Amino acid sequence: MAAFAAILRKDLRVEIRSGQSTIALFALSLLIMVVLVFALNPQPMDRARDGAAALWVAMVFAGMLGATRSMIAENDNGCLRALTLSPIDPAALYGAKLAAAFAFMAIVEVAAVALITLFFNLEFGADLARLAPSLMLGTLGFAALATLLAAISSRTRAGDLILPILAIPLFIPAIIAGVKSSESALSGFPLAASSQWLGILIAFDVLFITLGALLFEHVIRED
Amino acid sequence: MAKPAVETRALTKTFGVTPVLRNVAMLIDAGACAMVIGGNGSGKSTLLRILAGLSQPTSGDAIVFGENSRSLAAARRRIGMLTHQSWLYPNLTARENLEFYGELYGLTHREELATKWIDAVGLAASSNDRVREFSRGMEQRLSIARAMMMGPDLLLLDEPFAALDPAGVAIVGDLIRAAIARGCTALITAHSPLELGVDIARYEISNGRVIPMRDELRPRSRMGA
Repeated sequence: MAAFAAILRKDLRVEIRSGQSTIALFALSLLIMVVLVFALNPQPMDRARDGAAALWVAMVFAGMLGATRSMIAENDNGCLRALTLSPIDPAALYGAKLAAAFAFMAIVEVAAVALITLFFNLEFGADLARLAPSLMLGTLGFAALATLLAAISSRTRAGDLILPILAIPLFIPAIIAGVKSSESALSGFPLAASSQWLGILIAFDVLFITLGALLFEHVIRED
Repeated sequence: MAKPAVETRALTKTFGVTPVLRNVAMLIDAGACAMVIGGNGSGKSTLLRILAGLSQPTSGDAIVFGENSRSLAAARRRIGMLTHQSWLYPNLTARENLEFYGELYGLTHREELATKWIDAVGLAASSNDRVREFSRGMEQRLSIARAMMMGPDLLLLDEPFAALDPAGVAIVGDLIRAAIARGCTALITAHSPLELGVDIARYEISNGRVIPMRDELRPRSRMGA
């Protein structure tokens, strides 16, 4: 637990100091929103559906960028090797990288929710609060998957290209569940109406976090 | 005879079809100092990475404090390593870097230890500067501090004097001698033979083979069978 806390604290300190990941994620989210608003030209009756879709598109692409940058930071000066040699549990390292990626994505999503509210003419209020469970569960699952895959891709020459190719197909079921539950929330339905979709997101979170904790040691080990 | 700290048995490593290490058999007794000398790309760094468990041998074994390097457990804590990469975070200060690694190793009194080691490598005036502002030589000094502050029983030092000015060479030389004096085993790589003022068993690495240098006294380190 001490190693988990130390690595997470280090990642947050570095990010607060540089702001690189958060600024990049926010800028990417903003651009995605702008492109989608012009591309979809949302009509009043479709705003909830289009807003939910835009939010998840932004989350997935910003999440990939965030996870990649997090692992690139560990590869700077070979620091990942130092962590591998140290007596820490690889699962604690994975947990800390996941927690950091989740924190960065969550900060950006708060901004993204504000952006879709503006761009898609949604109302601030209870509907947005009902978005929180699906967004948090989706973010956690995607951070878990992207952290594991970013560790793989960061060790390959074309890592930036490989990550989306690996991550998006694996995350599609969660994206469907997330968009459906978010659309339900933005349409004003109670949380219970999307319980099946939330259940799928929880199952994905459990699956990806477990896989990550078990596989991370093998992923970061060199040949 | 002292128990070996490091032993390799028919250790071979290939990258693709290119052999880098061929049937390396070495024994380094606990508390001994050995030096592997070779040119660029001769396999020195690969040998150290395998001993630290950071890279897997293609065949053969490397045994460190009785543990196979393929699955180092308790022995990992006993290794201090210096590589061509500094293993330092550019956006953290020198002090923050050392305290971070100290926390990973469960060290108590991390602030005092960080101060002690930053002073020891002559970086007291820069302890609160970010590493990204450091010169290569300053990074090398701080990397030495990082490797030594855990009190390792085995030092794997890949060209420890690279990029250092004469003052840095003297400081790092003193630190290595002090570590050996307290019983630490050291395996050092270099491009050419170095004098450290201690008994050193020198080996040459060439074409993937590690052989003792001619006329070399090897009082506490020896080639394996």
